[in-house]
Amino acid sequence: MEESRRKFFKGIVVAAGTTALASTAKVSAATERPRGDADHRWGMVVDLRKCIGCQACTVACHMENDVPIGKFRTIVSNYEIKIGNKTRSVVLPRLCNHCEDPACIPVCPVKATYQRDDGIVVVDNSRCVGCAYCVQACPYDARFINPETNTADKCTFCVHRVEAGLLPACVETCVGGARMFGDLKDPQSQVSKLIEKFPTEGLRPEMKTRPQVYYIGLDKHFNSKVEGTPSLWKREEALGEEKES
Amino acid sequence: MSSSRRNFIKRATLVSAASAFGFGYSHTASQMLKSALGDKKPADPIFGNAPKPEFSVDLKTGKLQLNPEQTVAYTMCMGCSTICGVRVRIDKKTQKVLRVTGNPYHVLSSEPFLPYQTSVRDSFQALSRYQEKGLLARSTACGRGNAVLDKLTNPDRVKVPLKRVGPRGSGMWAPISFEQLVEEVVEGGDLFSEGHVDGLRAIRDIKTPIDPAQPEFGPKSNQLAFMAPFMDGRLRFAARFAKLSFGTVNFTGHRSYCTLSMRSGYAALLGDWKKQPHLKPDFVNSEFLMFIGTAPGNAGNPFKRQGKLVAQARSEGKLKYVVIDPVLTNSDNLAAAERSSWIPIKPNTDGALVMGMIRWILEKQRFDEKFLTQPGPAAAKVAGEASWSNATHLVIVDPDHPRHGHFLRTSDLDPKQPLRKGKPAPAMVIDMASSKAEAFNRAGPATLFFQGKVQTKDGKDIAVKTSMSILKEEADKYSLEEYADICGIPADTIVGLAREFTSHGKLAAVDTHGGTMGSNGFYNAFAIVMLNALVGNLNWKGGTSIGGGRFKEIAPGPRYNLKKFPGKVKPRGLGLGRNHFPYEKSVEYRRKVAAGKNPYPTQAPWYPLSPAMSSEFLTSGLNGYPYRLKALILWSSNPLYGIAGMNTQVHEKLADPKQLPLIISVDPFINESNVYADYIVPDSVLYESWGWGSAWGGNLTRVSTARWPVIEPDIAKTAEGVPIEMEVFFIAVAKRMGLPGFGEGAIQDKDGNKYPLNRAEDFYLRAAANVAYFGGAVPDVSDEELSLSGVERIAERLRETLKPEEWRKVAYVYARGGRFENADQAYQGEWLKYRYKKPMQIYDEHLATARNSLTGKRYTGTPTWMGPKLSDGSSLDEAFPVKQWPFKVISTKSNLQSSHTIGLASLQQIHPKNAIAIHVDDAAELGVSTGDQIRVTTPGGSVVGAALVRNGIQQGVLSIEHGFGHRQLGARAYRIGNKLQKANRLSGYGVTINDLGFADPSRKGLSVLTDWVVGNVARQGLPARVERA
Amino acid sequence: MNSNIVDLISVTREVSWLSWGVQYFFLIGLSYGAFFLTLPAFVFGRKNMQKTGRLALLIAISCGIAAPVALVSDLHQPGRFYNFYLHFTPTSWMSWGSFFLPAYVVLLLVYAWFIYRPDLELQANNQSGMLARVSRLLAFGGNEAPAVIKMLGLMTLFAALLVATYTGSEMAVVRARPLWNGPMMPLLYLFTGLGGAAGLGLLLNRIIGDASESVSNQLSRFLVVFLSLTMLTVLLWMLTGLAGHSSSGMVLMRLATEYNPLLFTLLWLSICTLLPFLLIINKRQQTWWLSGFLSLTGAWLFRWSMFIDGQRIPKTGAGFNDYSIPLGTEGLLGIAGTLGLWLLLVIMITSFIPWQGSKQNTSV
Ligand SMILES: Nc1nc2c(c(=O)[nH]1)N[C@H]1C(S)=C(S)[C@@H](COP(=O)(O)OP(=O)(O)OC[C@H]3O[C@@H](n4cnc5c(=O)[nH]c(N)nc54)[C@H](O)[C@@H]3O)O[C@H]1N2
Ligand SMILES: Nc1nc2c(c(=O)[nH]1)N[C@H]1C(S)=C(S)[C@@H](COP(=O)(O)OP(=O)(O)OC[C@H]3O[C@@H](n4cnc5c(=O)[nH]c(N)nc54)[C@H](O)[C@@H]3O)O[C@H]1N2
Ligand code: SF4
Ligand code: SF4
Ligand code: SF4
Ligand code: SF4
Ligand code: SF4
Ligand SMILES: [Mo]
Repeated sequence: MEESRRKFFKGIVVAAGTTALASTAKVSAATERPRGDADHRWGMVVDLRKCIGCQACTVACHMENDVPIGKFRTIVSNYEIKIGNKTRSVVLPRLCNHCEDPACIPVCPVKATYQRDDGIVVVDNSRCVGCAYCVQACPYDARFINPETNTADKCTFCVHRVEAGLLPACVETCVGGARMFGDLKDPQSQVSKLIEKFPTEGLRPEMKTRPQVYYIGLDKHFNSKVEGTPSLWKREEALGEEKES
Repeated sequence: MSSSRRNFIKRATLVSAASAFGFGYSHTASQMLKSALGDKKPADPIFGNAPKPEFSVDLKTGKLQLNPEQTVAYTMCMGCSTICGVRVRIDKKTQKVLRVTGNPYHVLSSEPFLPYQTSVRDSFQALSRYQEKGLLARSTACGRGNAVLDKLTNPDRVKVPLKRVGPRGSGMWAPISFEQLVEEVVEGGDLFSEGHVDGLRAIRDIKTPIDPAQPEFGPKSNQLAFMAPFMDGRLRFAARFAKLSFGTVNFTGHRSYCTLSMRSGYAALLGDWKKQPHLKPDFVNSEFLMFIGTAPGNAGNPFKRQGKLVAQARSEGKLKYVVIDPVLTNSDNLAAAERSSWIPIKPNTDGALVMGMIRWILEKQRFDEKFLTQPGPAAAKVAGEASWSNATHLVIVDPDHPRHGHFLRTSDLDPKQPLRKGKPAPAMVIDMASSKAEAFNRAGPATLFFQGKVQTKDGKDIAVKTSMSILKEEADKYSLEEYADICGIPADTIVGLAREFTSHGKLAAVDTHGGTMGSNGFYNAFAIVMLNALVGNLNWKGGTSIGGGRFKEIAPGPRYNLKKFPGKVKPRGLGLGRNHFPYEKSVEYRRKVAAGKNPYPTQAPWYPLSPAMSSEFLTSGLNGYPYRLKALILWSSNPLYGIAGMNTQVHEKLADPKQLPLIISVDPFINESNVYADYIVPDSVLYESWGWGSAWGGNLTRVSTARWPVIEPDIAKTAEGVPIEMEVFFIAVAKRMGLPGFGEGAIQDKDGNKYPLNRAEDFYLRAAANVAYFGGAVPDVSDEELSLSGVERIAERLRETLKPEEWRKVAYVYARGGRFENADQAYQGEWLKYRYKKPMQIYDEHLATARNSLTGKRYTGTPTWMGPKLSDGSSLDEAFPVKQWPFKVISTKSNLQSSHTIGLASLQQIHPKNAIAIHVDDAAELGVSTGDQIRVTTPGGSVVGAALVRNGIQQGVLSIEHGFGHRQLGARAYRIGNKLQKANRLSGYGVTINDLGFADPSRKGLSVLTDWVVGNVARQGLPARVERA
Repeated sequence: MNSNIVDLISVTREVSWLSWGVQYFFLIGLSYGAFFLTLPAFVFGRKNMQKTGRLALLIAISCGIAAPVALVSDLHQPGRFYNFYLHFTPTSWMSWGSFFLPAYVVLLLVYAWFIYRPDLELQANNQSGMLARVSRLLAFGGNEAPAVIKMLGLMTLFAALLVATYTGSEMAVVRARPLWNGPMMPLLYLFTGLGGAAGLGLLLNRIIGDASESVSNQLSRFLVVFLSLTMLTVLLWMLTGLAGHSSSGMVLMRLATEYNPLLFTLLWLSICTLLPFLLIINKRQQTWWLSGFLSLTGAWLFRWSMFIDGQRIPKTGAGFNDYSIPLGTEGLLGIAGTLGLWLLLVIMITSFIPWQGSKQNTSV
């Protein structure tokens, strides 16, 4: 190898090494990760009677949070069900449940995903190694590996907006007014009042995660894995790609 | 094995192993390096790449803190024809739109919406979590509305004027300068080395008749047809050019292939065939609603408001509703339990269902008798009714009477009665008290059911019936069982619906829309909307409403007259749709009669009742009946995609410049229609345009939505530095041609002072002044609001264009995204504030006395049941027997698509393509399951797509969502100059449903199947068969 | 399939543990499987198993080195693997694994080194030049140390068991994936790892060894045992599923009948477990290498099926998600890469280290 090339490579290695070290140092220095305020417990109530399946929430989330095409922090599933001789439409907004006992957190090998004191489960994308263990562990398919950041990604309850005194993007654009967001610790909040007034349920109780997204009007056929004719959705079409045949 | 061979193998293995390793791990290695170098690191460890919020609100004090890098501006959405008010969040530096949601002042985006006097600052605060206000005042955009901002940056956008360089439709274009564009389209010449082409100047002749022998066709200027989209806020500008200045009658929007059937049904009910007003339920206060052929929450207009109100009313309010539709959509919702339900129906049979209901309602006397017996406004007032009807009016039923089919008027009894010119004498009723025939406006409550004779002054008997009696006769034509059999809804369900509908007083209503777009659409729609008359709900709180209307802008307004100008042309002559003109008055008719020939049938149907119909422009212009077209302007419309069967019918002829010598399109995209254009003029998109929109209905208060460029349009500019858009183009054309209404002195204020119309702002800002001053002026904007609302960006233009006392008021309006009447103005006691004044018509005289030009037969004046038909009134099912065509295809709008959502990845990722929905039993018979490819064939063509096997569909029906399967709009490649614009598969996925449309065999030449009375394009109920593909 | 419910709009999730993960589980399974096969010779002193033991050791170390490299590649942020060591998380099997795995590999290498040292010394004496010098250095005296080897073997055994436990448990604890969730996963990884290792031994015995009959006999006997254990476990698993006792078993039955029957039932169960079993008990020696190959393939397919197909079963939706193996590094190329690395290692070891012991070494 000629001298200059050797130097070049050596340069890269050294540079890589130092940046790696530097970022390591930075990560370990940044032990004070944002933890939120333990006086609040953020949660959501989805009044299914009011959802019209318009997917405004889905798209708003995509726009607000720069979610890559084909990946979803939230999606509104849409079914039909025949009960007796009546067929009905069913809509079901899905997102991270910011579980009280999240399945995603204990498996994370580097504590990149954690629960803030206000209940919001977040991923520190500067630490996440992208092992996708949390993706496997979440029973709600709420997580994915973001192909742009190569780290785990999911709903943050739009914590950046919440902290600015605003509402999550999906909530503020919810056409039917189905998505309600607020402080579950505050008995005067609208979410608390709704939970007080109506029977509510979380998804997949059998997973024992204690989800903090509550549904009004959830039918028993849909609170766990939904068995039926699967949708025709194809990833390559969603991405506008032609399927290699 | 020899050791050398062994060594060789070993070495070869080594080399391949090493390279496999090297390649296999290359990505890992580069990932490692990348992450070490911090490449593509998200902006924030937790928030990722989410942009900083537009503002923040202190939850203790409510204090608003702005983000100086962003602007929030209130303008108008164009994600579908609902045109809601929205708030657009813009990155100031990059001028990129980051996100879009609703405008909290706007009735179409919020319920409740903010009082108009709310400051912009408070409007922002109202969206926040401060006191949880945002949850209440949430102002939304729908899925499409959230996504459409990507249209702005769509890589397929046309940004410079294009001239075709290959054959028409080849997709080969050359960019040209604006000045060349204007010169060529005006002056014509040998533009494409294919021979001489007349320019607009040559075509605009408003004196010489097209055919001196048939003067009713009007002047040669009618040989320019102009297809516009809809009242998107800019249509009246285009109309000013096309109709009032150029002088063609052939200018209109897309109504005839959107929802002419429903509009006509209401035109008959409300007695206004010209404006075709329509009603919407007062969702908030209604107790029972029937949606027949419209799908609130899934589609419908106003999409979002309707969806929201239905969702709210079924959960918090008192509303119960049924949706009658061959397909189950998101209008229904399981969680709403028995508050909502879906009843499947066979396509095109709504008339049977409703006539069944009407039969039962009349039989059981469950109609609103008090309302129906009021023969006129005076009686209604006494009775405390908010409207009245012609149910008691007498119709002449003697077939030999010269005025057979008309209302009996006082002049019929006394021929010598002096008449006011142009005003018919009053119709007559049987006054209940006196049992005598009396003028409707003088009588008290009148007899509802009457058939008998009325004597004239000179002692002759005239056989008459009340409107209501005629309706009853029509309803009694079939038994309930027969009706049930026709529509596939059991008789007791029909009775149940009728009972429920008549159990809520005036707090029940029916709504309809696109589901009636079949070949018998008019009578189905007329029957459906008649139900509203039977409960007398018009103008009532909880009933039906004509809508709050708008603040008159492009009108003779309080500040400027934007309707009148010196030299204004009144376009005249027969439109290409042979509409609004009875065939019996034509030269053709008289000539045939004179020659002793049967004047019927004509080559193509005439539509004496209908307004201009753009769906007939192409076929008529190419058929040369009534006359040929010389030029076509397509602005933001796409008839070849939107009209069932049109593409198959006309695309070859459109590709031939001899058939239609000049096609100009003004459009930001290349769509299925303007791909045949000779020139494409770029246009602004969404939030880049000026305009004045409103609501179609569903608003009980006045609404005017400001459409204004909240960002700089990303389009090439003229030599003067103005971005090239629709208005700029027509101003330039008009000025070059010396047409009236444009240029210096084209606009007058109320004092007669003249102002120029040289830029779009000259027009729309003066319209804004009309809005700002209508019925009392709004306050002046403060400097703070100017900056908060982003109106600062256009403030200079306001100041330049408007009078000193005007501009701050206009800015106040723009700062709020329009002008809106406060919600407390909706009602006056139990009545609506905005009430329709004319009667509800049980019987429509115009309809009853009009004739079908193919048969010469008269139409029926009340709702009646008729099956799907060809234009000559013969049965569609006989022409295409069920044996051969056992299925009916209908189209259901996708809740995620509209024709204005184009190649939007953020939407299509959710639902990339449509499928062909088929009933489980039908699928079982065919042996197909969900996902299998099936082929649907109609008399006009066939399509292949994935089967979607559902319970939620009527047996024998195939339903295909509209809005997919584009051939253009990015789905194919174009060559522009020497640049290749690549195809993107996004808009191309799925089935093109309108390929299934077909020509009407009872017509000659090119045609598509239409309703046989009013001519709306039939997209529902096309006969079909299906097989595995 | 319940046709009363039709999913009209839903999106599916992508597989996020990629083929790299399959390769890791495959290689590490082969490694610890093979390591167990070295124990009779080097820890329990069975002289007649020396040859088999040496072959197994070659497999154990080559796979043991290749495995972690594949593992790091399965991370979407491989450059951040150091975070494992900065943020130990006792609740995460993966975190534990990040300690077990290197411990195992290091111990394995030391164990192997002690076994190879005398032979390296011999090689140093018999060769000249660079190879001799390096061998001498590596031999570090080259004295025989059976006690040390025994002790190291036991320590490695402990580490290997930890690795076997953690790899299986990592999946077994995932409640969200019922197929994985249960005790069968660690057991089957172990048995199929052993079976794969024995199978690979049978193959290598023919390709780079001297086709020794005794090795072949010993390995095939082992293989029969491992295959039987595998089949019994799967049978048990299926039965609990059929009886509705285990949701994991129930999902397995769906995998075998509904979701991906081709791969699971036909390929894996019959061809890769039953067929090699039958071939061996049939005593037709010529076909044993085929048994070896099939069982090796079976070990891979089992992992592929659990890993990839397991992720194709949606958690909330119906059906079975699409997956076609990508051609690039996230798929075929990645698989080729790990195999390339492994081959490279085998060639290097066999070229420079007297892996077959002193006798063979001197006789060449
Ligand atoms: N999501 C969405 N919303 C939209 C639009 C859009 O493109 N997408 N476009 C807007 C426009 S321009 C319009 S005009 C409105 C139209 O709004 P709608 O009228 O509500 O929508 P359509 O889909 O045209 O038709 C309504 C329903 O009629 C059903 N139908 C078809 N044939 C029959 C029949 O014979 N009888 C009965 N009873 N029902 C039948 C269809 O299945 C469909 O669900 O929507 C507006 N809103
Ligand atoms: N089978 C079937 N056919 C249908 C329907 C159906 O439900 N089923 N729906 C019918 C109905 S209700 C209607 S209203 C018609 C609609 O049909 P049309 O009114 O003919 O046209 P659109 O398809 O709305 O096309 C509008 C064009 O405007 C352009 N455009 C898009 N966005 C913008 C923009 O932001 N600015 C400007 N300047 N131009 C833009 C694009 O070129 C687009 O093609 O289709 C009808 N056709
Ligand atoms: S829903 Fe999934 S990702 Fe969200 S907290 Fe619960 S387990 Fe974790
Ligand atoms: S992907 Fe990231 S957040 Fe998830 S478990 Fe792995 S390191 Fe933790
Ligand atoms: S809260 Fe924010 S991140 Fe979560 S689903 Fe809604 S928009 Fe997306
Ligand atoms: S925005 Fe609201 S109404 Fe629309 S789909 Fe989402 S949750 Fe449902
Ligand atoms: S309803 Fe139409 S206009 Fe309103 S936000 Fe949605 S797409 Fe835009
Ligand atoms: Mo429409």
